Amino acid sequence: MSQRPTSVLAACVWIPLFPLRCEEARHEGLAGYPIALLAPDTARKLWQVSPLARHAGVKPGMTVSQAIGLCPTLRLFEPDPVHYDEQFARLLSALTEVSPIVEPAELGLAYVGTDGLEGIFGSPEKIVEAISNTMERWNDGMMERDNGKTSEASSSFHRSIFPSFHLGFGLGKFTAWVAASRSKPGEAIIVQTDDAGNFLASQSIAVLPLDPDIHRRLRQLGIRTLGALAALPEEAIAAQFGSVGRRLWLLAAGRITEPVVGRVSPEPIVAALTFFTPVGERELLSHSLDQLIARALRHPRRIGWRVHALRLRADLDGSGSWLATILLKDPSADGARIAAPLNIRLEQSPPTGAVERLVLEFTAFAPGTSELQLFARDAQAAARAGQQRALQSAAREIRMRIKRSSLYHIIEVQPWSRLPERRYALIDYEP
Amino acid sequence: MVAPARTPLRTDRLRAVNAPKPVALELDASGVLSVSKVGKIEAILETWRIDDEWWRQPIARAYMEVMLEGGKRLVLFQDLITGEWFSQMP
Repeated sequence: MSQRPTSVLAACVWIPLFPLRCEEARHEGLAGYPIALLAPDTARKLWQVSPLARHAGVKPGMTVSQAIGLCPTLRLFEPDPVHYDEQFARLLSALTEVSPIVEPAELGLAYVGTDGLEGIFGSPEKIVEAISNTMERWNDGMMERDNGKTSEASSSFHRSIFPSFHLGFGLGKFTAWVAASRSKPGEAIIVQTDDAGNFLASQSIAVLPLDPDIHRRLRQLGIRTLGALAALPEEAIAAQFGSVGRRLWLLAAGRITEPVVGRVSPEPIVAALTFFTPVGERELLSHSLDQLIARALRHPRRIGWRVHALRLRADLDGSGSWLATILLKDPSADGARIAAPLNIRLEQSPPTGAVERLVLEFTAFAPGTSELQLFARDAQAAARAGQQRALQSAAREIRMRIKRSSLYHIIEVQPWSRLPERRYALIDYEP
Repeated sequence: MVAPARTPLRTDRLRAVNAPKPVALELDASGVLSVSKVGKIEAILETWRIDDEWWRQPIARAYMEVMLEGGKRLVLFQDLITGEWFSQMP
């Protein structure tokens, strides 16, 4: 919709086993128990496994009976993908208080663009401290929401089990990620720009985005560190492993600086349906889905745009949830084409329980045909709604810090004037 | 440029952008011209003149774009009515 902001200096925030940590955070008394999450489908296999359970021999992908056989004290949880998604969205939102450039990579892993932040916070150490403080506030907020209580005892209890974020700082996303993956929980590793080469050279090749086969072949060749890989000729690696190999070599040698690319996230268009009695029949869900799609397509903000990404979430009877995120290969404004991949998902991987509430969100859009665009009310209204809120929040923060507004609009006064001082003027910005 | 949103336009809240700043020009014994507290002028790159508003309070300015020692560029003008010197962005 518009050009995305980027930043070459990056901080990487990583919370390993994010869904599992979310469950630990909202269920008291789990510390010290081996726990595991079931996969969010009907296969009844394990998805994520806590370190204690792993220590007892339990691994992701095992069946429940295998896991219980190995670890009788294992506590199993139904997955709640909607909850994890919401928590991660809150984390991203909290990080935008530090920087407007935040890029989510996967659940629990996000990059924060830090170009220009030295003017606000100071050194990289101070920037990392600001991110760390934000994470702590987000964590505390999550605990309060999940537990509905704010007692000191409860707060400190949870803080002790949820300080598991890792922070890394460096030039480009890869260096920041490697730094985060090497940092201790709750601590940060800052890689100075002129030291990035030395830092990367000593790291294991496991930090590269490798498939198992390439990893095995590299190890068979005796290549165990990024330095060893970078010491080989680029062409030799490209000849062995193709374009993937060339990219790996460039990453290992620190020749690629991938910038953090900020999101221009539009306000989603949401349509929801609450059932009087929980619904388990697929036909009825499919019919309800058609209704939701039709309702969302009629939304005035959608006019002139085709839907590119959508999300269907279901609150299940009792506890748990179900989530399907779809990226349409060909953006469409046609209800049937939007419904098709969701119906396939409902058939192949249906909710594990009866559905109490069904929520459809259109989360990304592509321009429609030129005729449709004529009817678009505002080409970037959706994206701007989010940006406007961020701007208002930033303006409030500045006013609070320096006790006066120092943000101004530049307005045209006499742009044609031959006298430069007559052309433009500043006026207070009050969002 | 950001379009003004909800801020009502009041002329008393306007702040000037690019207002001329008074400067002093000095000529040293060797004939080198310098802008006080800014630096020596190495070259005059361009000159132009603006005459305007002759019907009310006449404005007459002689502009020059100069290059300072070290390569920095600066726009100066002399108010031809008062004789004072100012610097300004072009």
